[in-house]
Amino acid sequence: MRRRLLGRASWRFYQRHPWQLLLAVAGIALGVAVFLGIELANDSARRAFEASSSAASEQTTHRLLPVAGPLPEARYFELKTDQRWIASTPVIEAPVLLALAGGQRLEMMLEGLDVIEEPSVRGLSGVRSGDADLLRLLTEPLTVVLPQATANAYAIETGDSVEVLAGDNRHEVVVIGTSELGADGQPRLLTDIATAQELIGTPGFLTRIDLRLDEAAAGALSANLDPRTVLVPAGAEDQILGELTRAFNTNLTALGLLALVVGMFLIYSTISFTIIQRWRSVAVLRAIGLSRGELMGKLLGEALAIGIAGTLLGLLLGRELSAGLLELVLRTLDDLYFRRALAASEPSSLIYVLSALLGVGATVVSALIPAVAATRRDITSASRSRLERNAHRLARRFALAALPTLLLAGAILAIADRGLWQAFVAIFLVIVAGAMLVPLGTHGLMRFLEAPAARLAGIAGRMAVRGVTDSLSRTGVATAALAIAVATVMSVGLMIASFRASLVDWIDTTITADLYIDVGPELDSGLESSLTAIEALPEVVGISRMRVARTLAPLGSFNIRAQAPGPEGYGIELTAPDDVTAEALLDEERSVVVSEPLAYRLGLEPDTALELPTMTGIEAFRVAGIYRDYNTAGSDIVIALDAYRRHFDDQGLSTIGVHLAADADADIATAAIRALFARDRDLRIRSTEFIREISLVVFDRTFQVTEVLRLLAGIVAFLGILSALMALGLEREREFAVLRSLGMSVRQLFVQNLAQTGLLGLTAGLAAAPLGAALAWLLVHVINRRSFGWSMDFIVAPNAVLAGVSMAVAAALLAGIYPAFVGARADMGLAWRDD
Amino acid sequence: MAMTDGQPIEIRSVCKAYGSQIVLDHASADLAPGEFVAVIGRSGSGKSTLLKLVGGLISPDSGSIRHGAHDLATMSESELTTFRRRELGFVFQFFNLVPTLSVRENVLLPLALNQVPQGAALRRVDDLLGRLGLASCADRLPDELSGGEQQRVAIARALAHEPNLVITDEPTGNLDADTAEEVLDLLIESCRDHNATLIVATHSHDAAARADRIVRIADGQIEPAA
Repeated sequence: MRRRLLGRASWRFYQRHPWQLLLAVAGIALGVAVFLGIELANDSARRAFEASSSAASEQTTHRLLPVAGPLPEARYFELKTDQRWIASTPVIEAPVLLALAGGQRLEMMLEGLDVIEEPSVRGLSGVRSGDADLLRLLTEPLTVVLPQATANAYAIETGDSVEVLAGDNRHEVVVIGTSELGADGQPRLLTDIATAQELIGTPGFLTRIDLRLDEAAAGALSANLDPRTVLVPAGAEDQILGELTRAFNTNLTALGLLALVVGMFLIYSTISFTIIQRWRSVAVLRAIGLSRGELMGKLLGEALAIGIAGTLLGLLLGRELSAGLLELVLRTLDDLYFRRALAASEPSSLIYVLSALLGVGATVVSALIPAVAATRRDITSASRSRLERNAHRLARRFALAALPTLLLAGAILAIADRGLWQAFVAIFLVIVAGAMLVPLGTHGLMRFLEAPAARLAGIAGRMAVRGVTDSLSRTGVATAALAIAVATVMSVGLMIASFRASLVDWIDTTITADLYIDVGPELDSGLESSLTAIEALPEVVGISRMRVARTLAPLGSFNIRAQAPGPEGYGIELTAPDDVTAEALLDEERSVVVSEPLAYRLGLEPDTALELPTMTGIEAFRVAGIYRDYNTAGSDIVIALDAYRRHFDDQGLSTIGVHLAADADADIATAAIRALFARDRDLRIRSTEFIREISLVVFDRTFQVTEVLRLLAGIVAFLGILSALMALGLEREREFAVLRSLGMSVRQLFVQNLAQTGLLGLTAGLAAAPLGAALAWLLVHVINRRSFGWSMDFIVAPNAVLAGVSMAVAAALLAGIYPAFVGARADMGLAWRDD
Repeated sequence: MAMTDGQPIEIRSVCKAYGSQIVLDHASADLAPGEFVAVIGRSGSGKSTLLKLVGGLISPDSGSIRHGAHDLATMSESELTTFRRRELGFVFQFFNLVPTLSVRENVLLPLALNQVPQGAALRRVDDLLGRLGLASCADRLPDELSGGEQQRVAIARALAHEPNLVITDEPTGNLDADTAEEVLDLLIESCRDHNATLIVATHSHDAAARADRIVRIADGQIEPAA
């Protein structure tokens, strides 16, 4: 019966204060929804990525690749003579153009298969599904299978002929059927190996050999390998992408957890307020014999009920939220890493369980502190002044505890100097330390502001300022919660601004040419003569050449950027060593410079060695320097083009940079270059402005998901301050009633209340500024470094800080309007009543 | 500060109900300027309601309350606010001092609301505090004072702007007998000094006995006490 009575008392309290209950439930629901939404989106994207990776290899366990150039077909026949490696199939992959009706050209990946061997080795269900009889590829020359989507989009039917362009090779092929898109999302033009060799003009050569091997067979094959080939595990390329996407997902998860942390502050402040409001009842209950344990049980029971309600609502909201977030996450991953369409996958249902546990657990943990405080209070001293004196003492203790908390954060960062999760724990500790300093900071600032406020608005100003300090037990928590939310929003803003500024700087450094010509498959032949003609154009002062090749080395998969610099050099900003230029370093034989992400991932430093597969086998190159690189593949190596050609036997080019005279017209130059190539439609020429613009568009799109999360964290914080102000207003109703009785007008009281909430916002904003800057520094120099290996300049944009402070004031004022209005309209009859 | 000088108060056929509970039923009464009237009655009889009606804090359902030429029923919200600010002083049972203001600032508050120049206001406050024996605790906060001291501050605040009418609800209800008498003496003397009308709702026969006139509220009516 006692429990039922206590439960009834709790229920009736919340019946009288429904908004308090609603705000607490809403805070938990939003925190859980953000966390669940992010985790569902992350998990779905992760599964999509894994499905994509496994679809690309399926049953294949290993790949045999040439160290440079194409792979002689003889390697395949040699393999087939040994039973241990019989499960192998040749593969040709090459980009080609499809010439469609109306002059349209469509770039597509040509895939040459051995239709007999392929199913037993790779089992590519994606490419085999469809209406085509793949055996006809083998028996009928120059036949292909088109992706269903392409056939539909361009009204191509079975039996139609299309022209395939590859370099100087042009062939009419017959479409014998269609296939589904592979699960990796790539549209592929399927054909037989022999037809593929004919189409791209490489008879007797393959791109690679796919194998299905056990560990013993793989080891034996490695030991017997031709030095011009390399055996790598299937999906090795995806390992790096996997690392990067994991880092990306970790960052998102951390943001989701942050929303939950802000939500916890909200719960803490709400539960604290409900206890403070019932302080007299709590004291009476204790006086008539309620034990501390029973009181604790009652308060935690309330929190549990609120937690369950909020969590259930949060789970529903989170499911809806995840759909929108997933779209943003997939698009970002697609933009940054895969460049292939990812399809959403059904996330694990365990995430719902985890979110529910976190939601309910966070609520109970947040309620634990005020509940313990309530049970420990002296039941004979329920006075408000005693409570506030305790709050001031506690504020001083918290401030003292902030320093060791910061030291602990520093120690974690120093000890786990590469760990990402440890870095997030350190960030969490910095946030906690910041929150600990806020109440004392609030007190100090208000003391400082009291005299100016009194001069400005007389006794009303003084009352507004003192109202903040004299209710420190409530305002301290509310201000800390708002400060944390604003600091978080500010820090992410500062990090993005720093990143963007560094990216713009990097683009300006890297893109030295005025125009870039992509050397597609059709431009290989006679390219050098065209380049000579370009150099002779009056608008042109020079050209740079670049070959980009993907290579699989013992330490992983790298992009090799072989460059012959133009008049403005390599366009590389070295971060180490700092006393030489890239030109000087790359002049040396067997020297490469590596990107920061790659150097960070592999622990490379200047003068260390990096093994690369060359045409004479694996050779060690000196890492001469490390350069700043925001390419998201994260594994770039730059080498001089001449050296590359000597070591890798690859004479091709990928991109030509055209450097124009200062007074040259880019449009005229573009037209002249097109005329030289005599292929108006196909030649892809991009201006520096276009590349710069598109890079920034992708950058901004990348951070859209972050913006959404910032907004959600802001809403949680807004609810927190609203809840705090409503509770404060309720508590001071009688004081407002007295002031109204004394002749203070509704407007005067409204303005005074609003000024007080503005002061709370200002305090939170001023506290958030240094905390936000510190968090931004950690995001820039620790989190980004550990996640992606990027270094960037840390820029504290005054505008971003000012915007943060303004946001805190605006949020507080906005949240304060209703409580201020309610307070100003307080029933004056309340002055007649006891508490 | 008062707009009027010693105006009579007329309560005519006032009705007030809270839901189905009728508190005042066509109640009427007159208060002369400078008069000290004690209002007695059982708990819940409507004493506080009468005080709130006279103070313009709530409106009657019907009937009229006039302070001289001012009919409270016809006054707008802002006129009522100004009226209270200038004409009325309140002393509550639970003191109701503003906890964030010192004793001096609490007493200064009605003067500040009436825009009395700061120098004159401070002189007035210090004079009042001296007369009420509060000079030594002028800079202390309310929760550092005893109950009797807090009620004296409340009296000082009620009288600071020299109102025509002081309304008090159980001003001694929260004090011990000696302190209660001391506080009541102060209240009566101060009102007499300023020729202010004083209405006291009380359960205390001793307090009521000090009044010029005692009225009782019973069955919704205001009657002279026997």
